[in-house]
Amino acid sequence: MALTSKGLRPADFAATSERAVAACSDLGLQEQASLLANDGLLGVIAHEDVGGLDLPLAFATPVVAAANAGLLRFPLLETILLGDLLRQSLPRMAEAIVRGEVLATIAWQGSVVAEREGNSVVLNGCVARAPCAAEVDYALVRVGAEAAALIPTDAKGVVAEESAGLDLTLPEHGIRLVNAAIPDDSIFDDVWARLRSDANVLRAAAIFGSAEACLSLAQEHASTRRQFGHALSYNQAIRHALARQKLGLEGMRHAITRSLDATAGVLERDAAFLAASAYGTSISEGALQIHGGMGFTWDVPVHRHLRRIRSLQAQGDASGLIAALGRRYVAEIAPAAEAAAAQ
Amino acid sequence: MTVIETAPPEAVTAKNLSGDAYREAMRRWLRANLPADFRSDSAAFSPPTLQQSIAWEAAMYRAGLTGVTWSRAYGGHGRSLREHLIANQEIGALAMPESVNSIGKELAGPIILAVGSEEQKRGFLPAILEMRDIWCQGFSEPEAGSDLASLRTRATRTGDIWRINGQKIWTSGAYRSQRCLVLARTGPLEDRHRGLAMFAVRLDAEGVRVRTIKSIDGRESFCEVFFDEVEVLQSDALGAPDEGWAAAIRVLEIERATNRMYRAWRFENELRHLISACKTDPVLAQSVTEARYAAKLGEVVVDIEVLKAHVETVVDALVSGDRIGARGSLAKLHWSEAHQRFAALALELLAQASLPLLPAVKVAKRRFEAIYLQARAETIYAGTTEIQLGIIADRILQLSKGK
Repeated sequence: MALTSKGLRPADFAATSERAVAACSDLGLQEQASLLANDGLLGVIAHEDVGGLDLPLAFATPVVAAANAGLLRFPLLETILLGDLLRQSLPRMAEAIVRGEVLATIAWQGSVVAEREGNSVVLNGCVARAPCAAEVDYALVRVGAEAAALIPTDAKGVVAEESAGLDLTLPEHGIRLVNAAIPDDSIFDDVWARLRSDANVLRAAAIFGSAEACLSLAQEHASTRRQFGHALSYNQAIRHALARQKLGLEGMRHAITRSLDATAGVLERDAAFLAASAYGTSISEGALQIHGGMGFTWDVPVHRHLRRIRSLQAQGDASGLIAALGRRYVAEIAPAAEAAAAQ
Repeated sequence: MTVIETAPPEAVTAKNLSGDAYREAMRRWLRANLPADFRSDSAAFSPPTLQQSIAWEAAMYRAGLTGVTWSRAYGGHGRSLREHLIANQEIGALAMPESVNSIGKELAGPIILAVGSEEQKRGFLPAILEMRDIWCQGFSEPEAGSDLASLRTRATRTGDIWRINGQKIWTSGAYRSQRCLVLARTGPLEDRHRGLAMFAVRLDAEGVRVRTIKSIDGRESFCEVFFDEVEVLQSDALGAPDEGWAAAIRVLEIERATNRMYRAWRFENELRHLISACKTDPVLAQSVTEARYAAKLGEVVVDIEVLKAHVETVVDALVSGDRIGARGSLAKLHWSEAHQRFAALALELLAQASLPLLPAVKVAKRRFEAIYLQARAETIYAGTTEIQLGIIADRILQLSKGK
């Protein structure tokens, strides 16, 4: 990508991220936050006022891609987005998140109901698919359709519950809110659509990181594992399967690049996530198949990538989004294009 | 019906127009000049005759829509590849007939630009753009389809004359062509890739015989071409002798990556047409919003967006001076399979239409039945799916084949 900002290129962040992710491997969540913050990775898109680098979203994509390639056990995507989102309303909180002093996550599924009581807002309901919610200080939950609220996870009436997610290294939690009271300034109106859109671009990049790692593992296995007197890659069936995985990976890469263009809109962003979701699943499942029985062992990391890709797919509600895209194309996009063509 | 041509667009007369202004000028010209009965999404559609197609494509050239990047010295418009992409996006947005000379404009032309002599460039290229010469591609043979390096058509040289003997097959449009881009063997068969040369053979030369083959869509566009002691002047040999394979590889790379660059935008036109036809029928209007079909339509939209991303990446690479190389196989594999998925979905949807068929549904059925059948060829021509997968495995992934 030719994009540059402040003399930096997105690719410059990939190497830094790889090093940081490797260094995080045996650390707890809080220590990881400090390390990632020191490398500027938590505040890559956050404003300079809150200690961020104030770079475009394109600079966060190699960061989350490298994080997933290295199976980072930290809610990085959520942290990066919150550092940017909270700048206006809660700048000190944003700064603490960017510095790695406060841990936070986002619950991607469901929404809660809010009622005002004096200077407080009382929240009730259940949300889910919040990575590491049981271990962080704060969680952002959706309120109604478009608002969001930042809640302390240790507040009265807030319970983080384990859920049976596939990703065991970055576990998702559900959050139950029963008359949980938060200050008025912790509610943010009209933020969810943008947050979801930014998240889908980053999710696509995260899936890309895992898918690229899977293809690399499958390629290496096919080149070194010998059966019937040949490397597996001698067989056309294996060669073609890997070629299809490469086709998917490049489609994903190009769609993500396109979604980051200044002219890109919701369609391009949704398409990048949906392409990554479809290709990422087939690449990781295909890599598992090429590994044979070895792919089914705990030690070969392909299954961890597959688990993570499936979790990211669900966090972005890929199946709901693809049908919504089809309906939106029928109801809005196609008629608008037809009307423009008729002029 | 005749092609009624208004004045060329402003972009041709005002050479400094670029970007959005260039797009707008091209768009205006196409909207004003494309005959209604050329549009396959129109109830008035009637496939154009060869003469009508020639007249239309010559008009498109004069309007600045073809030969966009070719040098002005050879009849081109001397514009950038980005403007070529813009022109293709505008062409793709309308349901217009496929070119009858895409081999000339998108295969022979680029290869002549790459390896042709100055005299050949000045002679061949303007004739292609002005539609005086239609070209076809004489590569495949009965015993050399995907395995092109085993071709047997032979060229032997005596002084300045080459004699060509052999047979080509799957030569689309040979019956209507003036020239054939022929790949022939000058050395022994065992040399495989070495000893191949490329020629611009006149199809009215003595010893050339063309026989049409009826194809899956009922048309007779495929041909066999027989060469019996056909004399070709050295001045019609393209590139240095024995460099034919290198030239062929370059042609195929171009073909896979840039040929009919408008595809993503044409697929979008087809999708819009399908949806607008479905909306006229109460049953289909309900179907397209049901979860099952909404998701499938969403998948088509994603396929199209990914194809646009492939195309734009190729353009970016070429603009920055990269060779396309094997990457053309990625785009070719994606569009050919994506189009088949879309065409199958369109047929499935339209098969559920209310009876009697409404006029807009009839038009769509006619168009999509043709598209479905033609799309079956798309994973075969320009290198089959299996060949593309092999190229990706060999040249991009560089997978070991050895023991």
